[in-house]
Amino acid sequence: MTELTDIQNQTLIDEIEEYLERPDEIERFVELFSRAKPRLQEIAAAIIEGDDDGADELTETALTEGIDAIEIMDDGLIGGMGIVGIKFRENFVFVPEVLSCARAMRAGMAHIDPILSASGVEKQGTVIMGTVKGDLHDIGKNLCIMMLRGSGFDVIDLGVDVAEDTFIDAVEDSGAKVLGMSALLTTTMPNMGRTIEAFIDADLRDEVQIMVGGAPVTQEFSDDMGADGYGADALSCVAVAKELIAAA
Amino acid sequence: MTGSSKKDYQQRLDKITEIFSDILGNAQNQVKGQGRCPYRTAKDVCTAKFGCANREDPRDRSEAPICAHDGNLDFRTAWETQPESYEKTKIKIEQVKLEATNRRKDKRAGMEGQIAPAQTLFDLADDRQLRLATSCGRYGECHECIVTVNEGIDALAPRSEAEEFLTDNYRLACQAEIIDAMAQITFEPLIRTPRILHTAFDKAIDLDPGVHRQGDKILRDGQVIDKYRGHVYGLAIDLGTTTVAADLVDLETGHSIAVASFENPQHFGGSDVMHRISYDGGPHRGELNKVLINALNREIEDLCTRFAFKRREIYEMVVAGNATMRDLFFNCDVQPIGQRPYKSPIELAFLAGERETTALAIEARKLRLRAHPKCLVHGLPLIASHVGGDAAASLLALNISPDDPEITMLVDMGTNTEIVLAGQGRLMVASAPAGPAFEGGLVQYGMASYDGAIESVWLEGVEFGWRTIGDVAPVGLCGSGLIDILALLLRSGAMDEKGALAREKGRRNAEVVVAPAHGITISGLDISHLSQAKAASNAGQTILMDRFGVNSAQIDRLHLAGGFASHVNVSNAVEIGLLAPVRADRIIKAGNTALKGAAEALLNQNRRLYLDQLVRRAEHVELESEINFFDIFVEACFFKPMASV
Repeated sequence: MTELTDIQNQTLIDEIEEYLERPDEIERFVELFSRAKPRLQEIAAAIIEGDDDGADELTETALTEGIDAIEIMDDGLIGGMGIVGIKFRENFVFVPEVLSCARAMRAGMAHIDPILSASGVEKQGTVIMGTVKGDLHDIGKNLCIMMLRGSGFDVIDLGVDVAEDTFIDAVEDSGAKVLGMSALLTTTMPNMGRTIEAFIDADLRDEVQIMVGGAPVTQEFSDDMGADGYGADALSCVAVAKELIAAA
Repeated sequence: MTGSSKKDYQQRLDKITEIFSDILGNAQNQVKGQGRCPYRTAKDVCTAKFGCANREDPRDRSEAPICAHDGNLDFRTAWETQPESYEKTKIKIEQVKLEATNRRKDKRAGMEGQIAPAQTLFDLADDRQLRLATSCGRYGECHECIVTVNEGIDALAPRSEAEEFLTDNYRLACQAEIIDAMAQITFEPLIRTPRILHTAFDKAIDLDPGVHRQGDKILRDGQVIDKYRGHVYGLAIDLGTTTVAADLVDLETGHSIAVASFENPQHFGGSDVMHRISYDGGPHRGELNKVLINALNREIEDLCTRFAFKRREIYEMVVAGNATMRDLFFNCDVQPIGQRPYKSPIELAFLAGERETTALAIEARKLRLRAHPKCLVHGLPLIASHVGGDAAASLLALNISPDDPEITMLVDMGTNTEIVLAGQGRLMVASAPAGPAFEGGLVQYGMASYDGAIESVWLEGVEFGWRTIGDVAPVGLCGSGLIDILALLLRSGAMDEKGALAREKGRRNAEVVVAPAHGITISGLDISHLSQAKAASNAGQTILMDRFGVNSAQIDRLHLAGGFASHVNVSNAVEIGLLAPVRADRIIKAGNTALKGAAEALLNQNRRLYLDQLVRRAEHVELESEINFFDIFVEACFFKPMASV
């Protein structure tokens, strides 16, 4: 039987003590981290703290130290994110924190990616994501990006208030086959239509599959604007992206 | 664990997907179920980039902005598509497609490049470095960028759907597309840069506000409503038909921090209360309320930045306004005020015994005003019909009471001029619809008493000498300047008693030049508007004195109040018949007494209670019901001293 004190990393001890309440979960994480290598405990702690530089450097170090990629994922990256998921479920942290933790995990995963491809795990493809012009809402889009990356997509994030030309340049530069646009205001939604028209004007409409989403967007709006796919939330975003990649 | 297979790796990726999927499921619950804003962190920091209304910037700019919402944010309206915006968006999307199709057609026809991107008046304002207000990002939603187009209205595309609520030469700058780029277009914002004044109360007020501090807690009626954040502020607001003034008051010291004043943005709905009432009865009900609240929110934001405090530190507000202004502000029905007996539904309910008082107290958040979530907004009681909370506030500020053995008269000049006579057991009030001529409306070069307004005029040989507020180059004429000009024209014979300008070479002069180098003139038409404004005020005073049974010699004190009152040359005002001929040493220029009274009611809740009782003793005189009203009014149109009855 392992004890909390078997864990060496103080951050992890504090986190488990302060935020975990269910006995089965406490047991699972104490068990996981107490046998985890100190370096991997540090990775998990960096993810919980949303420290992307830390996660980046520590994962690289772990690999050069010869630690196996599967072990780094299990004990470090996934272990840390698992704690974040529970803290989020229990309302100790909220969406902005989760997004920064996911970003830290992504920084670590970047070093694992080459190993994954070498083993034959294929990337799902590249998706360009952005919130349309005039709109500064980014949480929905960022949750989609988190989900897409988590599911094996490469994502180029253009941020918020993205002009038509910026979308076009990104498609041309990257050769990405799927473009996702987000809008959270009924007043900015028409800019999705504008961007789609701009792709037609640029003779690029056939080169890219376009998906749209955001709270006020509906399937009907999506059809009206001539988009190829519509996702009601970040979960369906992945399904739509997979369909569109297949269609491309 | 060497030689891991593709399957092993795929398992891990699936695990990550599973964790994220759970997180997304919980995220939906947090946002929709608990009403927690997704941009708000565990430490209540606001991470939104879009300038959320609930965001509060800290005094120390290096600190992160805070989410000032008290939780349970119901933004379903923003998330669930509303039928109205749904339709608008559908139309807009169709337009986008149509424009694109046309553009391609033009391109094929070789006309590419002929259609420049549409420029709006807002773009033009940017080019001219003219600052316009907006909080919606120029999407025609906030209605803060209303402008008056003075010249070149035909060079603009017809009103868009977002501008349906506007008429005449009013436009939303962000929506008004310029179709003739070569045309000369001049326009000015309806919400002009406000003036910030510093004032001191001219009387001592016992401090007993509705909200006070105890140690590190803020209390109202013994209940803790907040922790002490550094300031306990209140806002006293005088809602004039033409000008709005807000006094930021420190509830702990009783000192005024600053007075901000700006033009009432409801102007597009008409310049007097009757037009506003009918506008609000039309298809755009609520629009007047919206622009006023938005303008006040902007003002609060501005004060916060200027005087380094947070809007959460405003705990109480007191609003004084005539019945229409007050009830539009509180988003109440004003239609009955537009017809006899000109009473607001609140007054009618009070008279029917269905309400205890005509005073109101509503939470600021329910009015969409940005202050502390528990901030209470008090509407001062109405006196009767059009005589509202502003006149009530003046009674408070000037200690006017029927129990006074002496006779006091108050003339509060404004778009609606209130007249009060009190003393020897009686308190009589009347409201005269003077219109905005002396307030800056209807008169071509008229303006409110802002910097650049000519406030005083005298003769220098054959020309006029003048002085402006702020000693800057003249922009226009405010009420006091207009009074001086009328008196001078009358005295010199350049204008007769009827207001007709003198003839020269057999032709009547169309205008008189006031400041030649600055192009400021006064026309025959201006004088005619001023004559009617003056007549309403004059007739009101005449009838009220008659009903009260006093003549001007018997009045012990005459308080002259109103936005421009402090600049008025009293003997000129008497000479043209704007003011009862009370002995000069008995006339007191009282300034903005409505605002002072509102501040007093803010600082002492007992004074509020006292006022609620005092207004019940007022007798209201309906001027139009006076049998000889028409004769008196016609007589009052003449520019000559009022007959001392």
